Amino acid sequence: MQAYVVKRLATMVLVVLGISFAVFLVAHLIPGDPARILLGIHADRQQIDEIRRQLGLDRPLLVQYGYWISRALHGDLGRSVLTGEQVTSALAARLPVTCSLALGALLIALVIALPAGIVAAIRPNSWYGALITVASQIGVAIPDFWLGIMLILACSLTLGWLPSFGYVSIRESVGEWVRHLILPAMSIGWISGSIVTRFVRSAVLEVLGEDYVCVARAKGLRERVVILRHTVRNALITIVTVVGLQLASLLSGVVVIEVVFALPGLGRLAYDAVTRRDYPMLQGAVLTVALAFAVINLLVDLLYVYIDPRVKY
Amino acid sequence: MRRHVRVVALVASLLALVGGAVCAQQPGGELIAGISADPIGFDPHKTSAYSSFEVLENVYDTLVGISEDLRPEPALAEGWETSEDGLTWTFHLRPGVVFHNGRPLVASDVAYSLNRIMDPETGSGASWRLASVDEIQPTDGQTVVIRLKHPYPGLLTKIGGYKGMAIVAKETVEDGTITTRPIGTGPFQFVTYTPGDRIVLEKNAAYWQEGKPYLDRIVFRVIPDETVRTTSLMTGEIDWVDSVPPQQIATLSAHERIEIGETSGTAYWYIGVNLNHEPLGDVRVRRAVALAIDREEIAAAAKWEAAVANDSPIPAGAYYDAEIHPFRGSPNLTAAKQLLEDAGYAEGFTADVMVSNFYPETVRAALTLQSQLKGLGVELEIRVLEWGTWLEEEATGNFDFFICGWIGNLDPDDYFYAQHYTGEVFNFTGYSNPELDALLDQGRRATVAEDRYAIYAQVQDIVINDAPYIYLYIPKVVHAWQPYVRGYVTRADEAIRFVDTWIES
Repeated sequence: MQAYVVKRLATMVLVVLGISFAVFLVAHLIPGDPARILLGIHADRQQIDEIRRQLGLDRPLLVQYGYWISRALHGDLGRSVLTGEQVTSALAARLPVTCSLALGALLIALVIALPAGIVAAIRPNSWYGALITVASQIGVAIPDFWLGIMLILACSLTLGWLPSFGYVSIRESVGEWVRHLILPAMSIGWISGSIVTRFVRSAVLEVLGEDYVCVARAKGLRERVVILRHTVRNALITIVTVVGLQLASLLSGVVVIEVVFALPGLGRLAYDAVTRRDYPMLQGAVLTVALAFAVINLLVDLLYVYIDPRVKY
Repeated sequence: MRRHVRVVALVASLLALVGGAVCAQQPGGELIAGISADPIGFDPHKTSAYSSFEVLENVYDTLVGISEDLRPEPALAEGWETSEDGLTWTFHLRPGVVFHNGRPLVASDVAYSLNRIMDPETGSGASWRLASVDEIQPTDGQTVVIRLKHPYPGLLTKIGGYKGMAIVAKETVEDGTITTRPIGTGPFQFVTYTPGDRIVLEKNAAYWQEGKPYLDRIVFRVIPDETVRTTSLMTGEIDWVDSVPPQQIATLSAHERIEIGETSGTAYWYIGVNLNHEPLGDVRVRRAVALAIDREEIAAAAKWEAAVANDSPIPAGAYYDAEIHPFRGSPNLTAAKQLLEDAGYAEGFTADVMVSNFYPETVRAALTLQSQLKGLGVELEIRVLEWGTWLEEEATGNFDFFICGWIGNLDPDDYFYAQHYTGEVFNFTGYSNPELDALLDQGRRATVAEDRYAIYAQVQDIVINDAPYIYLYIPKVVHAWQPYVRGYVTRADEAIRFVDTWIES
């Protein structure tokens, strides 16, 4: 087991490095650069070259990447080329926002998906089972930003119950932290929940067809025990995989919702960094997301050992 | 006795009048202003981002200011004289002005700031505004002398027209904090910036305008989505919002509690034509396009009712408007087709138009343009680029047409020189006309108003008819705020000033 973990960690480092290099290349090779963004339309060649020189962008790409990597290995991810803000402190400030949002969305997703998926699997031919299937189909198709804006118009503007934008840190006020996260988390959580519902339903359905479930019933166990102890437990491998993938994709995919609700999160940081060609910020944001993806995947794989005793590394 | 009473009554009513006027503005309070994007750095000499200037407008001053009706007015300089030959300008600084760090403003600060803008090593995008300046010298603590290379009556608007010309504190440049913690002489001082979230400014108690500002604090909240921005104004979460999306002006006006400020702007939006790409080098082809389009329809598609269609960049009724409208009858497809035929393109041609989703109005305009030009036989391909790429393509001349706007046009020179003078920095069309160049140079030197008017009338005649730019519309500036926000004025030059703003309780 230990050897497995070490091997996985080593692979993770290589993958993350590879991603950082690919992003670096692509970001620098697409047209436009931060000097142009800074100077805008009012820029002549000389000024742009001067600003590029000040930002260190006139050096060869490999040299620039080399500098970045050597500093990154010491924990210094550089500074924003446009505002001078330290990348590590920007990431540290934005990460809690995105994590709060992702976890909130995941919570909503699970609260919806687990009961709904199980019920839809147990009673596939009932009217409520069919309703859940249809609702999840619709949920998957809804764009998150549309849902977000609809929720704002309904809950903020018309009803006045919840704020329409912004983030309050949990350290400032727990109540306000929750209030500001409800609408954005619901916008994504509803859709994520629809996706997970379908996986839970199909995983449970599959297990329900297994022989040991039949045996458990034949033994005279109560239905609730059959479902919870025997069925769901066995479906957990699939469910945990999907949830892990969802969490990882939530961490990287919340860009649109962070823009709509004006949340100062990681997704918004990455989006602004791309449009402004703020290379160090972009590198830092991508590195963080890639690491998060890799760590979550590793954790999910390790979790299998606890769920399924047959799994051994 | 009766005379006594009359005097007392007179004095009492005068006091009431004065007292009433002074008590109207209530000091104190916090304004929450919703803006559409994060600032890109706070160095006024380097950044060109409007979002940065919404903040910096309240933090810095310029040597000369621009009034609400767009005329130069005293700011850090309380007066100035020009020498007989027009080559030497002497500015007298207002006494008692202090920077936000307590240090008094002196003439060498002014010289330092303006020289920094001119210095090629700074790489400032505003340096072209001081192209006529030879040198800037502080002659004593309160006097700055600017010597020009040639007489230039438009100097005042160039020096003061925009906060990119701000007078900064040298120490912030030297310790590198100017980009993150600006220190100026303006009505509000910078407190904090939380990226992605908010910028906080606080009242400058030592501001040189007596009794102002009224507000204690301004909190700029960054809300990128335009629907959410206007919604949060309607829910009362914010007090003021910039850039009302034109399609929401009607909704906001109908809202009983929201005030809308609207004024015609100094910007103009246009189609830029690449004269180096055939067949656009032929003036008949350009004029054909200019005649074939329906500017009202394009303006409505781009800005709903928040723009005025115009085939000239200068708004109707402005002093320098020479009323040159050769394309007034458009759309006139018959005449346009005739011109194309004369140029040898009776079958039409294909071209692309470059727009950016950074300015969604240009995308809407391009779609309308595309369908309008079909009638002329012109197949238009629309390239929607993101902003960084758009800038790069414009600079390298990789386009046939593009749609963009120029803002901050105060002096007639602003409308034409940098864009159409042969080889000038912002001449992206490749237009070159020695007759126009001579007129533009004359216009810069002319000191008598009538002469300037005549010169720029000729300039308009040439530029509008030669159509390196096909002008489309002049947008209105629209802001919105809560009814308890008083004393805010929507300015034509789109500068966001809160110095006179107060909150009514």
